[in-house]
Parts: sequence; C-alpha cells; structure tokens
Amino acid sequence: MLGRLEKKYDVVVVGGGPAGMGAALGARDSGAGRVLILDREPDPGGILLQCVHSGFGLHYFKEELSGPEYAERFLAKVVDRDVDVVPDSYVSGIAVDSDGSKRVRLMGAAHGIRTIQARSVVLAMGCRERTRGAIRIPGTRPSGVLTAGLAQKLVNMKGVLPGRRVVILGSGDIGLIMARRLTLEGCEVLGVFEIMPYSNGLTRNVVQCLEDFGIPLQLSTTVAYIHGRERVEKVTVAPLGPGFKPEMSKARDIPCDTLLLSIGLIPENELSQSLGIELDRITGGPEVSSTLETSMPGVYACGNVLHVHDLVDFVTNESLLAGRFAGERAQGIRRPADNIHLVPGDNVRYCVPHTLSPEREHTIYMRSKKAMKPCVLRVGNLLEKKLRFVVPAEMIMLKIKPDLLERFQGDSLRIDIHEESGGEEPHG
Amino acid sequence: MAEAGTQHFVCIGCPMGCPLQLVHEGSEIREVSGYECNRGAKYARQEFTEPRRGLSTTVRISGARWDRLPVKVAGQVHKGRILEAARAIHALRVEAPVRCGQVLLKDLLGEKGLDVVATRSMERAASKASS
Repeated sequence: MLGRLEKKYDVVVVGGGPAGMGAALGARDSGAGRVLILDREPDPGGILLQCVHSGFGLHYFKEELSGPEYAERFLAKVVDRDVDVVPDSYVSGIAVDSDGSKRVRLMGAAHGIRTIQARSVVLAMGCRERTRGAIRIPGTRPSGVLTAGLAQKLVNMKGVLPGRRVVILGSGDIGLIMARRLTLEGCEVLGVFEIMPYSNGLTRNVVQCLEDFGIPLQLSTTVAYIHGRERVEKVTVAPLGPGFKPEMSKARDIPCDTLLLSIGLIPENELSQSLGIELDRITGGPEVSSTLETSMPGVYACGNVLHVHDLVDFVTNESLLAGRFAGERAQGIRRPADNIHLVPGDNVRYCVPHTLSPEREHTIYMRSKKAMKPCVLRVGNLLEKKLRFVVPAEMIMLKIKPDLLERFQGDSLRIDIHEESGGEEPHG
Repeated sequence: MAEAGTQHFVCIGCPMGCPLQLVHEGSEIREVSGYECNRGAKYARQEFTEPRRGLSTTVRISGARWDRLPVKVAGQVHKGRILEAARAIHALRVEAPVRCGQVLLKDLLGEKGLDVVATRSMERAASKASS
C-alpha cells in the first residue's frame, strides 16, 4: 500500500525506480510476504518520470512506452501485489546484527526518523551523473553549465528551460535525447561534441534526435574552454589530437548560453560503502554473485547501482531476479554458493554477475572495451557466439544454460571478444 | 523506365538499429533488406514514401505537484511537421487531476485520430515538489 510503513519486513528495497520496483515484484513472486520500497523522491518511479520520450518497455510490456507510462504501470503492479511503498523517505543507514538481520534507518516527512527490521535488503539506488569536475574542463565558472539529466528534470517536470543557445558535450543517450527535447521546446542546439571517434548513444537516437533536426554531431572533439563571467558566453571546441589532447590551433569558439554535459553515470554506492560491501573498480557497483547478492550476506543489488544499463527492460529483468533471491533468503531458502569466477578477458571491460553456479541458467551482462565488427564472443572453451558488432555503448547480454556449466571442471571462466577473422589466438 | 536506386536507413524501431537497404525504381519499392523483424521492413517503406515520427513532449499543468505533464501523440506525425505539432501541443493548458491515457487534444494539426494523450496520472496536490 502506498504510504504504509510497518516495523518488520521480509525484504526492504532502497530506491523506488525501475530497479526497486522490479526487485519488490520479484520478492513477492518468490513468496516473501512483507515487502517495502523506500524512495527519497515524492513520487516513486525514479528517473523514468523525467524520461518523457518513448522507447521503454519493448521487451517487458511488448509495446513502446514513455518513461512515466512504464513507471505508472509498474507501480500499479507493485501496489497490486500488496507491496508497501513509502516515498519522501531517505535511507540514512543500514546496520547488520550478529544474527544477520538488518536494521534500515530512514528519515521522512510522514514518519520522522524510524528504524525498520529487514531479513533481506535490496540496494536499488541507481546512479548519478558525472559533472564538470570529473573531466576538469578549463575556463571560468559561470552559471549555465549543467548535466543533461538535471536539465531533463528541469525541463520535463519543473517547466524551466536551462537556456536558449545550447552546446552539448558527450553523445550518451541522455545528451542525444536532450538535444531533441530542447529543440522541441524552441531552443537552438548548436551541436553535440564527443571525444570518442564514435557516438556513445544508440544509433537510433543519433538518427531520430540529431539527424532529424539537423543538429551536428562532431566526433573526436571536446569542449576545451568555457568562457563567461556570470553566465556562459561561449565555449571553445577543439578536435582531439594524439593522446586525446585538444589541438588548439584548430579550435573554434561557439557563442552559447548553456553547456550540457552527458559524460557518463556513476553508480550511487555511498550506502553500500558504509556497509563495507566490496565494489568492482570498473563498474563502480558492488561485486555480486549469480543471485545478485553482494559481499554482505542478505544484501542484494540491481539496476544502475550495480552497473549502468542502457535499457530499462534489462534493469527490470535483473531486478526481478535480485528480488526473487532476496525474497527466498528471507524465507530461509539457501542456494549453493557459486564456484565459478568470471574473468573479463580480451576486449571485455566487465561482466556482471562476478560468479556463477552450475545450478541454474544465467544471464551475463558485459561491455566491450572498444568497437569491433564482426566478432566472436568466447566463454572459456564452452561457448562461442558470433556478434554482428560490439560497441562500448551497448551492453552485451549472454544467456548460459546450466548443462553447459555442469561439464566445466575449473574454477574460473574467461570471457573474450575477438575479431571474427582476427589473428588473435583464442584462450582456452 | 523510372530511375532505379538504393536508399539506406537505420531502423529506429528498437535499440538494435538494423541497417536497412531499400531498392526502388522511381517511386516503386522493389526490395527491402537488412531488417531483423517486421518493424524494420515497415519502417523502411514508411521512410521512403512518407517519413513520420512519434512525438512526446510536456504541457503546462496547474494544481499538481509538478509544473509539467508528460504527453504523447497517439500515432505518428509527418516528419516535416514535428516542430509545428510541438508548438500546437505546447499551447495546451491543463488542470489536475489528469489520468494517464486521457485525451487532451483531438485531431492534432487537423489530422483525424492524431490525439494528444497524457502519459502520466497527476493528482491534485496542495503543494509543489521541493526537489
């Protein structure tokens, strides 16, 4: 029930975005009786609520929905399954007792400061945006420099335009979506600049957000300087030479009043760190077993707090699973521990989960380090899969059947991606 | 004989982004290839004959926790009329409460069935969101 808060739960989910809602549903599906979602925003739904464009739900709902529609449908399912959802509540800490049970401390307008007992906890806090400080753009510090996701919230929920003449640095999907969004709102988007030689967003977003509106995308280019005293007056853009150094002799100035940054997302793991949970240095999220359990027994993670996803449908699948295992654990069901470590090999930046068990089917999510086409993905010497292409911006999903792992004797499995015709030797 | 040619599109039907080829003679489509599902075949034909796009934006709402209500066009708008359609939608003013799926404007740009619908329910709220 929306707003209801009891003292004890089987599963407490931190975060009410798509990951949190998926986890709550998964926990109920597993048979867990009492499930609670805590969310710090006034309305559950997370970032979906500011993503007013469509493109969500093709896998899960089998139709193309806008973000708010996806959130509203999902929330209805969650409430219908008798999950308690408490918005406007901020989780300030989690403590683990000697018997393994958890105490979740929250602060909220409606309930004050409260401590809730939980058998399992699912972390679903999502991620936040990298800011100017993360890439240290030289120049003055005027107003008008903001992250693309913040601009999205201002425009789509508060009805405030960040400026009129806009330059976007970074071609991630949020940047591309905002280029179109601001154009529709009557702003002039002067260009999207990307340091890599390829776009970091989905090709379809380059087509429908930039090409449709004649917005230029300039690759291998960066914003080298920000000018302006009170407000952004112009930015200097420069192509990147060897070693990613801007070639200032080829630089040019673009008069503008706003610079949007779409330069990456960071999983938001302060809560996980305060619990002493082991984080993966590459993903920035917790290391998890195949049940999506972190290094702290009974604490699970899913969605963008675990690793940054491209598609909400994948977040939902992962979260249903995390919720299911959290719910099982709360009911005293214990699964055998994983005995196979996954090792990211050639052209594999990371794999999630970090370990596997031959007990059941798995979905492995991974990203490549660089673009390749066509190529072969190899899982040890157990499995080969041909791929039309890989790019770092698009997550690779691989299903592994249990019978494949049953035959496997070792304790670690290496995953590699090689050019199909390439000369590199496969690793066994 | 009409002039033959090949046009290339990237399908925007889903995140896969299939590279599509359409072979035509004049205005007649001879062959479409490169798609992994029917959405791609349909998209290439549509893109060749009369490009259209979905359109989502927001409208002003009063009496709700937020100042903007997300909306979408049920159906697709002529690609060349997207900005015009957006301006027409932005002229709308609505009052909470609104239900998701509620029709806010019928026959956008005079085109039958091209309705503007809310994509979120918004209750009446006593105060604005502070975050």
